[in-house]
Amino acid sequence: MNFKKVLRIYRKELTEMLRDRRTLFTTIILPVILYPIIFIGLSSMMSRQETKMTEEGATVIVLDQIKDSNSKLLISELKQIPNFKIREQATFIDQLYKEKAIQAIVTITDSTTADGVLIYKAQIKYDKSNDRGDMTYGKLVSQLNAAEKKIVGLRLRTKGVPESYVNAVAVIEKNTASSQQMMGIFFGRFLPYMLIMMIISGGAYVATDLVAGEKERKTLETLLVSSAHRNELVLGKYLTIMTVSAINVLINLLSIYFSVAKLLNVAGSSGAQFSFPLGSFALILIALIPLITLFAAVLLSISTFSRNMKEARAYEGPMIIVAMMLSMISFLPGFDLSNGLALIPIINISLLFKEIMLQQMQINHFLITIGSTLFLDIIAIFITIRLFNTESVLFRTEEESVSLKSLRSHKKAFFSPYYGLLYYIAALAAFYYIGFSWQKHDLVNGLMQTQLILIFLPVFLILRLFKQNPREILRLKPAKAINYPLVILMAFPMFVIATSLAQLVNLVFPFPAEYLKSMNGLTNIGNLPISKVLLLIALLPAICEETMFRGFIMRFYENYGKWAAIIIAALLFGLFHLDMYRMIPVTVLGIWLGYLVMETDSIHMSMLAHFMNNGLAVMVSYLMEKKMFPALLMKGDNLSWWLLPPSLLLFIMFLYIFRQQNRKLVQNTDDDKEILCAE
Amino acid sequence: MIVVDRLVKEFQQKSGEMLRAVDELSFTANHDEVVCLLGVNGAGKTTTMRILSTVFMPTSGTATIEGYDVKTQSQKVRENLGFLSGDTGLYARLSVREILRYFGDLYDVPADVSDNRIKDMAELLDMNDFLDKKIEFLSTGMKQKVSIVRSVIHNPPTLILDEPTAGLDILTARNIVSFIRRCRDEGKCVLFSTHIMREAERLADRIVMIHKGKLLAEGPLEQLRDMASQRDLDDIFVFFVNQSNEEEVHEHEF
Repeated sequence: MNFKKVLRIYRKELTEMLRDRRTLFTTIILPVILYPIIFIGLSSMMSRQETKMTEEGATVIVLDQIKDSNSKLLISELKQIPNFKIREQATFIDQLYKEKAIQAIVTITDSTTADGVLIYKAQIKYDKSNDRGDMTYGKLVSQLNAAEKKIVGLRLRTKGVPESYVNAVAVIEKNTASSQQMMGIFFGRFLPYMLIMMIISGGAYVATDLVAGEKERKTLETLLVSSAHRNELVLGKYLTIMTVSAINVLINLLSIYFSVAKLLNVAGSSGAQFSFPLGSFALILIALIPLITLFAAVLLSISTFSRNMKEARAYEGPMIIVAMMLSMISFLPGFDLSNGLALIPIINISLLFKEIMLQQMQINHFLITIGSTLFLDIIAIFITIRLFNTESVLFRTEEESVSLKSLRSHKKAFFSPYYGLLYYIAALAAFYYIGFSWQKHDLVNGLMQTQLILIFLPVFLILRLFKQNPREILRLKPAKAINYPLVILMAFPMFVIATSLAQLVNLVFPFPAEYLKSMNGLTNIGNLPISKVLLLIALLPAICEETMFRGFIMRFYENYGKWAAIIIAALLFGLFHLDMYRMIPVTVLGIWLGYLVMETDSIHMSMLAHFMNNGLAVMVSYLMEKKMFPALLMKGDNLSWWLLPPSLLLFIMFLYIFRQQNRKLVQNTDDDKEILCAE
Repeated sequence: MIVVDRLVKEFQQKSGEMLRAVDELSFTANHDEVVCLLGVNGAGKTTTMRILSTVFMPTSGTATIEGYDVKTQSQKVRENLGFLSGDTGLYARLSVREILRYFGDLYDVPADVSDNRIKDMAELLDMNDFLDKKIEFLSTGMKQKVSIVRSVIHNPPTLILDEPTAGLDILTARNIVSFIRRCRDEGKCVLFSTHIMREAERLADRIVMIHKGKLLAEGPLEQLRDMASQRDLDDIFVFFVNQSNEEEVHEHEF
């Protein structure tokens, strides 16, 4: 790689960007004018609005039903509120209130407590949804409180007790949070989110233009036929995106900084009291660099993959939404960074910013966050370079849409990855919206309906509709007899492996307690007998889910090769459970199930394996309740770690035998064919 | 010099079937020679040329430029090749001089050399008036001239021009045709494609006719005229197309 050429490409891309007025506007001019308008403009408008409202005052009707000296005192106190008109008599009160001619109606009544003390009650009728009504209420309440003090003072004096008698406890506030930390709380919440959005929006525009835009304007091929290396092209463009989003973020940050500083000065608080956390800003900039590089690489690969700018924007959309949701984690109170969370992109930066702003940053969090982000960054760059070397990606042409009619006759066209994904999303939506509501209504029947109606049946309907043979597509045929006991034997160690994986995940990202509780509820539903639980949790899902995932969905990805199909189906299977904590073990399980089907060409294998796995889960929680086999379990109902190594060993052993058996099967059938030919 | 040997390029279609855009195509183009790749739209001209420019990988067969294999020595191929097609556009926001210097740098041409070349070429192709204008303000003919200079900025021994005169007015087209002749006289190997028979007649030393990805006929114009017993290139082309259709029918019969 020639770095001089990379720099040459970088320089040219920047020149071009700078000549594009839209880029200039969105990255530089917009942020410079946006924040002053938002912060200063809005806040001054708000305070002006408030003054205006106070000046306008309110009209209040007071209905005094007591008419003694104290109630009169209350009314005269209320009359002291500036700009308030207090009327004691009026007709059509309700009508006037409805027309908003009056903002509140105060009705004064009284009652006596059990100890014989007279209490004045002031009922305030007002409209809280109305700003003026809310303001009126606030002023009335504070004035009534002042009046109460006066009345209490009077009462105490008549009894010969000093007024300070009521002040038994005085609370003195001493906040140890520095003013920087107070600012930090405020900025720690919203700044991470804003910064992440800025990086993406600044980078996205340029990234879209740099490859998808070049495809659209037909300039990419000019570059590709030149003697510049593909790596050099990718790197030059990547640096350009990074630079533009870095400039965008920097200008945004500076603009925010000056706007807020100005705002605080306007608001009248002295600079010393609310000093701005400038050091934190510098740290944030450093932490931002890996994130900027990551987004640059991801955006570049999206742009490279897309046929044109419109398509690139369509792909960026979901990415931005995911990034947005992950970055919003800083809004959640009580969510703090841990070493485990520091591994998850975006969430880690978002929480790290919060730590930095609160001046509680831990160096290990800082390093893990930056390290893991850089790691992902490198992967994304490699993917982009790979894409740049893939002709079918660079020259993707508009795909013809295939009519439903031709789908029926073309098996290959029907089982395309796109339709697989479409089916999966439809099934997921049905599962989420319909299945969950059924289960909420009645757990047992709901589970059964979900499995049979939403997961199992649609597969057969679709196959029927498109005139496909279910037996052949879903591999509804028995496997060689030896495989049945082998799969059963494999299921035990696999269960331990999957469970240990779940425990490992739990160790890094601890499950919330409520979650564990709800999971326990699933494996021993109510007071059902164990046989029915097995039917519901083990047998039904084994048949229905395997039909859908290994039988049907895996078929859509077989064009990519055996392993790609197994892994994609397993990932979709893992996601289907809509459960972040079980995602990894379920996916691993899915890979095993897919492998069994691929090797034996029989869905029976994965159904049996799935049944064994879920059945074991049910049995273990059943045994746990009965407090049997304590040696296998650790504190907190976990499997003991010592089970893992022997299980791994056993699993590999059984897998080896299974492989041998099925390889022999293939050879045998080949031999049979040869014999047939010979005859 | 270009050597194409039993080149095949297949594309997967949405229905899952494979489309053969180039089918066992073989031909050569030597130095001091202008070879015309002649065929109707969709005959496989552009696909063949894209393979030669290394942006497409051949499905099977080989192709070499100056002895370098397009599959395994793509970097060397690109260094020795000047390539122009309807898909090699120019950056709208850069000036002519900036673009030419940029590509000079990408091809590792020293700055003073590429500046001199830009000067000479601008003289030759009558480009001095718009050398510092941005591409977005240029006409189609002006842009094509810039593209031509861009493709030869590194003085490559082999030139591939995919329909270099498409959509141009007579004067500009003539200008470019005479430039191609000059390149040949300098000893370069030039392969150009067209579906305009008159241009092929005027310019080509040898004609390679392709149809549906396959080679129809190859040779100097005179030779093709004798083979087809026709004078006009249009008629010669139709003659060979009919001949290949008949062969296809015969193949199906047996």
